[in-house]
Amino acid sequence: MSEAASHPPCLAARNLERYLGEEESRVHVLRGVNLTLEPGTVHAIVGPSGCGKSSLLYILGLLDNPDAGHLEIGGVPVLSIDDGEASAKRNESIGFVFQFHFLLEDFTAEENVMIPMRRLGKLTEAEMEARAYLLLEEVGLGSKAKRPSRHLSGGEQQRVAIARALANDPLVLLADEPTGNLDSLNSDRVFGLLTRLVHHRNKALLLVTHNPAIADVCDWVHEMKDGMIVNTTRNER
Amino acid sequence: MPVKPSLYIALRFTAARKRSLVFSLSGVILGVAFFISTQAQTQGFEKFFIETVLGTSGAITIGDRFQPRYDPILTGGNGTSAAVSGQQSRKYYSGVDNPGLLIRCLEDYSAVLAVAPYVEGNATLRTNFKDEVIKLQGIDLVAQLRATTLRGQIIKGDLDRFKYRPYGLLVGTLLADKLQVKPGDIVYLTGAQGSPHACTIEGVFQSGINAVDQSRVYTHTSTAQSILNMPYQITSIVVRLRDPQRAPEVAAHFEQQFAHISRSWQDREQGNLAIFHALRLSSAIVVSLIILLAGFGIFNILTMTVLNKVREIAILRSMGYRRGDIQGIFLFQGLIIATIGSAVGCVLGGILTYSISLIPIHMRGIMNTDHFVVAWSSSHYVWAVLIAYVSVLVASYFPARRAALLPPVNILRGSGQ
Ligand SMILES: Nc1ncnc2c1ncn2[C@@H]1O[C@H](COP(=O)(O)OP(=O)(O)OP(=O)(O)O)[C@@H](O)[C@H]1O
Ligand SMILES: [Mg+2]
Repeated sequence: MSEAASHPPCLAARNLERYLGEEESRVHVLRGVNLTLEPGTVHAIVGPSGCGKSSLLYILGLLDNPDAGHLEIGGVPVLSIDDGEASAKRNESIGFVFQFHFLLEDFTAEENVMIPMRRLGKLTEAEMEARAYLLLEEVGLGSKAKRPSRHLSGGEQQRVAIARALANDPLVLLADEPTGNLDSLNSDRVFGLLTRLVHHRNKALLLVTHNPAIADVCDWVHEMKDGMIVNTTRNER
Repeated sequence: MPVKPSLYIALRFTAARKRSLVFSLSGVILGVAFFISTQAQTQGFEKFFIETVLGTSGAITIGDRFQPRYDPILTGGNGTSAAVSGQQSRKYYSGVDNPGLLIRCLEDYSAVLAVAPYVEGNATLRTNFKDEVIKLQGIDLVAQLRATTLRGQIIKGDLDRFKYRPYGLLVGTLLADKLQVKPGDIVYLTGAQGSPHACTIEGVFQSGINAVDQSRVYTHTSTAQSILNMPYQITSIVVRLRDPQRAPEVAAHFEQQFAHISRSWQDREQGNLAIFHALRLSSAIVVSLIILLAGFGIFNILTMTVLNKVREIAILRSMGYRRGDIQGIFLFQGLIIATIGSAVGCVLGGILTYSISLIPIHMRGIMNTDHFVVAWSSSHYVWAVLIAYVSVLVASYFPARRAALLPPVNILRGSGQ
């Protein structure tokens, strides 16, 4: 990957530490996590429930602050920036898919996908709508674009959330069990879409999964245990 | 241009919660409408009262002449002396001095529309029924008609007949009732000293001011001067101004310029005006409280909305919406309510004001009216809208702030566990 060398990594984390909870019930959730996502790579994080996968993703997605460590996105340090800049970074460079697909209930599928674009403010209403429709079609929901999101099934909502994460064409995609609710056909389809995007457009994807079949087709697999990455393997394809 | 994202989301959130929207809106609408209609009423009565007063006694009345006495108080080192004049150091002379000249001077002011001189004194009016002490006012009819609303005040009889009868009288309506006289009746007028003069009642007037209607009798200047034994005397001059609001400054200027007591209507009617003012203020306060209550309602509703929307707020934050955007969403919700509420409230206030003006009431006292009197003024609407906006924005500020400061990760994590 000569290309990757000339670019800074999409995301680089060094020695991330995180404590959660109050006084006595304080938990050391992350104990020095190191992670580098080069452009064009797909990474899986696997590990038992409660090992700190979601907590790590929140920090990488600038939704939470680590107690120690260093984090760069696209070669820019992001831990010292203020809330406004962090928000802008989230809007432009990070696509987040939550473990529990969160959509705005009162909005249609399409409107949900348009929300990050609206904040970015680079497209006209018509362009946003066209792009939202395109993304929904890619996740197999073209026909349900105008449906209120609360009238969608769990799997459909999850796919809307994935389309929404792609709305602003982010550099880094962070997905917390994005295919957990999907049947194998849709799961393959969504995963195929994400990997294709990453490989063709030099993005990086980090996904948490409990599904070994999915982990197997990622470029890198990080095993996490008790707040640490204990093992990293590369899948040759 | 695309709509600001926070405004867009605010519109969607507002539209999705119709019941609380209706509740918040009705508070603002009623507050604004009540504010407008109560202000219209109190100011209506006040204006009506002022018109009555102006129509009868003019904007300024010029009375006795005075001579300022300058008492040297300070003497400067270089021999110059400063003089201080005050009420105490004036010497008064009864009546207007050289009225003809003064009237010509007054008429030269562009602020002055008309002036009417009169002579006034007490006289006894005797009918075959009873005697009554009255205030006899000798007027120059032509001037009086220009300076006051006397023509419109005549409710019985005929001004033209009065005009050509040297001993004709115009009697206040309450006085006419009391003495049981009507146009055509002969009565006898006696001054302080002297013999009775036979006069004819030619008309009955109603000024609307009880004090005037129960004691005043108009006749011609020369007749009054001879009955009152005040030859060539003028007691006062009624001045009608183009802009009655300026009466105090104009009066002060006249007093200085002509050395005659000059009283503006604001000065003469101080007491009544203070009552109207207090009424208006108190109704404004009461209705502002209603709007404030509406504000509290909105505060509660928005606080609840924020609590209901914590998830949405966290999602928006995770997608890159800033604290300011989130705050904007809730401030805009308040703004939407204030805007719709003010608009509808203004329309309703107008309708209410019009309806109130149709309500009949029978009022006799410091003024006469058969309907509620309302004043139409854009300032009522401006104030109502202003108060609505301020209270709604204050009410939405705190929930909005609270929403902006919610840390997204706690919510995202919380709903996961
Ligand atoms: N607010 C909190 N206070 C204290 N401990 C917390 C808090 N939030 C999470 N934890 C703990 O942190 C640990 C890591 O949680 P996290 O959600 O990151 O696990 P996870 O690896 O994503 O698990 P899963 O696979 O079940 O989603 C857990 O042991 C959890 O109990
Ligand atoms: Mg998790």
